[in-house]
Amino acid sequence: MTEQTLTQEPEIAEAPKTGEWQPTILGILCNWCSYAGADLAGSARLKYPETIRIVRVPCSGRVDPMFVLKGFQKGFDGVMVLGCHPGDCHYAKGNYYARRRIALVKDLLATLGIPEERFHFEWVSASEGNRFAQLVAEFTDKIRKLGPFAGVGAK
Amino acid sequence: MLNMSDTQNAIREEAKKALESRGVTLVIGWGAGSVPFKTTPVFINKSEDVDKLVWNPACVNNLAVYLPKLAKNSRVGIVAKPCDIRSIVTLIQEKQVKRDNLFIIGLGCRGVVDAQNLEDQDFHLQDVLAIDWVEARLKVTTTSGEHLLECSDCLREMCLVCTKRTPAIYDVSLGEAVEPVEVKGCALPELPEERRKYWSEQFAKCIRCYACRQVCPNCYCEQCFADRIEPKWTAKKATTEESWMFHATRAMHLAGRCIGCGECSRVCPVDIPVAELMSEMSRLVEKKYGYQAGDPDEELPVLGQYKQDDVDPAQHGG
Amino acid sequence: MPDKVLTKSNIKEFLGFLLVRFSVVAPVPGKEGPAEFREIGSDDEPILDGSKMMLPPKDYLLPRYEVLLRVTKDKEQTKVESTLPEDKPRVILGMWLPDAQGIQVLDRVYLSGKFTDPYYGARRKNSLLVAVVPERPRWSWFCGSVDDVETWKPNVEAIMYDLGDRYYIEQTSDKGAPLVEGSFLADPIDADIAKKNEVWDRFKNHSILGFADKKLYENLSWEDPIWAEIADKCIGCGMCSYTCPTCTCFDIQDETCGSCTDRYRCRDTCQFEDFTLMGAGHNPRHNQLPRSRQRLLHKFQYQHEQYGIVGCTGCGRCVELCPVNVDIRDILNRVCSRKREEEAPA
Repeated sequence: MTEQTLTQEPEIAEAPKTGEWQPTILGILCNWCSYAGADLAGSARLKYPETIRIVRVPCSGRVDPMFVLKGFQKGFDGVMVLGCHPGDCHYAKGNYYARRRIALVKDLLATLGIPEERFHFEWVSASEGNRFAQLVAEFTDKIRKLGPFAGVGAK
Repeated sequence: MLNMSDTQNAIREEAKKALESRGVTLVIGWGAGSVPFKTTPVFINKSEDVDKLVWNPACVNNLAVYLPKLAKNSRVGIVAKPCDIRSIVTLIQEKQVKRDNLFIIGLGCRGVVDAQNLEDQDFHLQDVLAIDWVEARLKVTTTSGEHLLECSDCLREMCLVCTKRTPAIYDVSLGEAVEPVEVKGCALPELPEERRKYWSEQFAKCIRCYACRQVCPNCYCEQCFADRIEPKWTAKKATTEESWMFHATRAMHLAGRCIGCGECSRVCPVDIPVAELMSEMSRLVEKKYGYQAGDPDEELPVLGQYKQDDVDPAQHGG
Repeated sequence: MPDKVLTKSNIKEFLGFLLVRFSVVAPVPGKEGPAEFREIGSDDEPILDGSKMMLPPKDYLLPRYEVLLRVTKDKEQTKVESTLPEDKPRVILGMWLPDAQGIQVLDRVYLSGKFTDPYYGARRKNSLLVAVVPERPRWSWFCGSVDDVETWKPNVEAIMYDLGDRYYIEQTSDKGAPLVEGSFLADPIDADIAKKNEVWDRFKNHSILGFADKKLYENLSWEDPIWAEIADKCIGCGMCSYTCPTCTCFDIQDETCGSCTDRYRCRDTCQFEDFTLMGAGHNPRHNQLPRSRQRLLHKFQYQHEQYGIVGCTGCGRCVELCPVNVDIRDILNRVCSRKREEEAPA
């Protein structure tokens, strides 16, 4: 991972054209690390796609697998869960429990036939504003290439 | 080899002893059903009634489902197959029932018969007089003669993949375990989009009767997420998307807890392979964390603990 | 009224003939699992001989999920739209006779009295009902024990008896004429009539149980110890009610997405714990005993008091599908034999 200063804008592979379909992404971010990182991206005026809808939770350990499933059920094209690096959890252990839960959610999505590229889980710290912006750009790009999610009920 | 009627007599003996001298106030077991190819749960509280207890190939029900309510404050005896006992282990682990409140009559098993599998055979169900094991096959005695069925034609689906045929914990162990002749695997389509379509077709059939949930001993929540209206995790309407949410969430809730008895699939009126999905999660848990659902040596549920070297699902970069 | 015989090899012609004038509804097998009633086209292969388990025709007349009205709100106005199902001529084929009789119970609930249900009415009003009597009755049927099944005949427009390689079509009401028109139909010969009578008698005399001669609605009482027995083993799912051809309870829910709200109807059952749960937390039927009691008293006593019809037609689905083998035939037998003992001279 290259060092990036706060003034450097992340690369966006393709700028969206007006009228074209845009992915809708659900982002569940833990308050102390990843949300702060997103905040930092905002205060540094870093550009990242407007495709992400952010939901703030106190801790990645709060993330109920149902949130991820609900996201796909409601038709989000991609779902992202971000938390503190292991060892850095504000509540000491929350993200360790999250690790198991999220690993199993990924397995469940695979069993149900939801492509694994549509779900992203990563550790992002409060100082990684640039990385957050980069992440969203890359994930958006990936989802754009995959196309809209057919939906859990589509035949 | 012990035959089932010997074991049946032993069960009755033990139940009688339990009621008379072991401080047990109720014995939960199977009794004769309303037709020869079914049994029904019975609740024996008088020692003279123990002759109601039966042990035959139709003893399908996972009786552990009654324990959270019945064994809360009193000592209860239960006649249990190895899968039922694994359910009991999870209930003890999750503090829904105390081990001291149970007197477990554990049974060695060879699988049980799903009555629905007897429908499309070359005899009529109303002519059936009895069903019994004869070596590795099921003998169905009807008014017009005897028919022999292979295990794969009549066993409950999950029994076909079950290799844990002896009781994990027990106060008394009876009967004899018979290992399966062959272990059938479950076959989901390979590609993600085919899988997604497969489940979409299955869940389109769902009528949300919740038989799968009600029959499961591990679904003991006083208010299920599916019944909440604030927040409304899944609506009551039986549409594909809502039913998908119900089953997907339930699979997550049963991860590492489902012990694979297969009752959910058996009771489904529209033949959704629920057990395949639920038990798949437990199989994945075992692979990832070496944690076996229903293992009496485990003290905590799999999601109630963590290890420093757990596999890290985090990705790097979008 | 003329009867006809339809050779099974002419089924496609028969369906094609009906499809010209009617929307045809019949049970169609799905991806494993029981067949379900839906509108068919000329390419479909419905199950017309009643030989397989199927969900009842109530699922067509009263869909499991139905939007009653939709409210959309924008800056200028609030629009309320309600779309009634098309009131077009329909033929509903291939239903078991107990299911057809079950529609009589649905008619009492939804079409009698001051308020009639327009959604149910639109599908029901111009529907011709055609029942099938299979060669052998299902093991779980007990129709002859709940009612005199001869009285069921005029409640349908025609009955198709499965005689093996052919159907005997009996027109049982004036409106059933379209079922016996068609040049591909033959006139019945004596052998046909004899076989048809055999099939009917087998159905009529099937499973005449101990409670058959008793008026069920007079025998069930609030204090019966049998309710506790059922409640002990009943696990409180909705299987019996949802697959029953006469159970009708529904829930109405409002669902909003953005500026659009749907008011829809979906299934509900008195067997669920929260069926009688009230806003303040009180639940009059807070455990399984009052719920089990309610279901049976409603079916066999209250519905008879209210509509003069017993709310059970002996289709046997609850008997076959109940996860814990709560067998309603067994329950009624025991209640009635106990009553007989009580009433017997000492």
